[in-house]
Amino acid sequence: MEIKKIAVLGAGVMGHGIAQVCSQAGYEVSLRDIKDEFVEAGIARIKRFLSGSVERQKMTQVEADTVLKRIKGATDLREAVWDADVVIEAIVEDIDIKKQVFKEVDELCRGETIFASNTSAQSITEMAMATKRPEKFIGMHWFNPPQLMQGIEVVVHERVSDETVRTITELCRKLGKVPGICKDSTGFIVNRLLQIWYNEGLNMYDEGIAEPSDVDTAYREGCGFRMGPFELRDMVGLDTGLAITMTHYREYMRDQFKPPRCLIMKVKAGELGRKTGRGFYNYEAKT
Amino acid sequence: MSIADITIIGRTSLSDELAQILAKSGLNVSVTDLTENYSTKASTSELVLEFLPDDLELKGKVLSNCDTSCQEKTILATTTAKPWITRLAHCTKRPDRFIGINFVKNPVQGKLLAQVTKGLQTTAQTVNICVESLQKAGIVPVKLEESPGLIIDRVIASIVNEAALMYSSKLATIEDIDKMVKLCANWPFGPFEFADAVGIDKVVETLNMLQQHFGPKYQPCLLLRRMLDAGWLGKKTGRGFYTYT
Repeated sequence: MEIKKIAVLGAGVMGHGIAQVCSQAGYEVSLRDIKDEFVEAGIARIKRFLSGSVERQKMTQVEADTVLKRIKGATDLREAVWDADVVIEAIVEDIDIKKQVFKEVDELCRGETIFASNTSAQSITEMAMATKRPEKFIGMHWFNPPQLMQGIEVVVHERVSDETVRTITELCRKLGKVPGICKDSTGFIVNRLLQIWYNEGLNMYDEGIAEPSDVDTAYREGCGFRMGPFELRDMVGLDTGLAITMTHYREYMRDQFKPPRCLIMKVKAGELGRKTGRGFYNYEAKT
Repeated sequence: MSIADITIIGRTSLSDELAQILAKSGLNVSVTDLTENYSTKASTSELVLEFLPDDLELKGKVLSNCDTSCQEKTILATTTAKPWITRLAHCTKRPDRFIGINFVKNPVQGKLLAQVTKGLQTTAQTVNICVESLQKAGIVPVKLEESPGLIIDRVIASIVNEAALMYSSKLATIEDIDKMVKLCANWPFGPFEFADAVGIDKVVETLNMLQQHFGPKYQPCLLLRRMLDAGWLGKKTGRGFYTYT
């Protein structure tokens, strides 16, 4: 199947970036969110990114204008998806809302349109089964920021067709990305391994073996990771992190994923990382 | 006390490299091994580091001999990543001046990291002397308490075990798992690349040790044990998760 038009649902952190990448690869894009202001904010972010690229001479002004022109904002779902060949969903991480939206889109789209969800936490299979086209439903998990991160996890399940998998892995390559195929399972590849990576470090602190700064230094200097587990937790946000760890623990029911005590206590104390000025480290300006 | 004279017992590529770094920073370093009269050589040093194979009895005997010949102020150190520090300290009459210093080579830029490990009886002063001396020599130290696999071996073994389980459950291929964590999480290597570099035997050994101390969550996955049975130990045998020619 030849892809000409891609509809991106959700103009937030992931959605706007996905729309930009698709447009830069030459696809017609519609970017849909539920309110005009969300759509406008998403397009404004794209504009900002593109003018940065022009300033750094990665792109000419003409190219930037073309990329922007290929993206049509919309709040009306029908208008956004009716003629799309692929619909990429990047809305709120709520399985019920996602299923509802896909049910609606299922009625509005042509039968051959492929549906892809950018979820990092929900079951692709469950969403696929909410539509009448599970064979054309697939996971396409992008990383933040979508414009810069090279890998995309292509998430497959029992009911997806080989053709859908082929079309979407090819699409990834045409978008300049590298696909990695993973069967539907909590955390897919990257988040699942990251939970272990985080937990080992945080558990060492809970066990009284080492302080956060020593664990972080060891991860960086001894293994070559760019950041240690405490630094990255603080950057991403401890509440977000705890929720992801809990999802893994609940789904796999294995001790490897059990949330460390230090993480739970920090969240209870409202020390959520950089965004609150304090997490495992203190970011408040010293007076 | 500051350290000016160091004796390294045991010749490995890592101990040679360490000796060069220490000597370059102006320290008086001598490397010796068990074929020589190591305890006499060590008698003038302020720090003695043993780099011997992981054999508890052998290490205990050598360190006990050094204990007898060395000055009272001398710090004795083992480089093992095993939780043997307190036990080895017990072979000497100076458990307060006994410590673990495990060296790890950064797989990306090749610099050395030192895991400075406190046994039950090691004093804070002993830890501080070692940390300061390492820092002066340009080696990054981290402080920790005696525990199986310390920090580095433990985190690598754990991510390898989970990745191996993921692959043997046929959720994703070896190549895709490695590729995705490198591209999406900025890891310098994928778990299978780490595994083949470290050695499957070492990964399983670390997991067994962790399992013994912390319980079944560290049980090595079936695939890792079968690879050990088959002698697929990684780069060093030409075959691990990948094949090397």
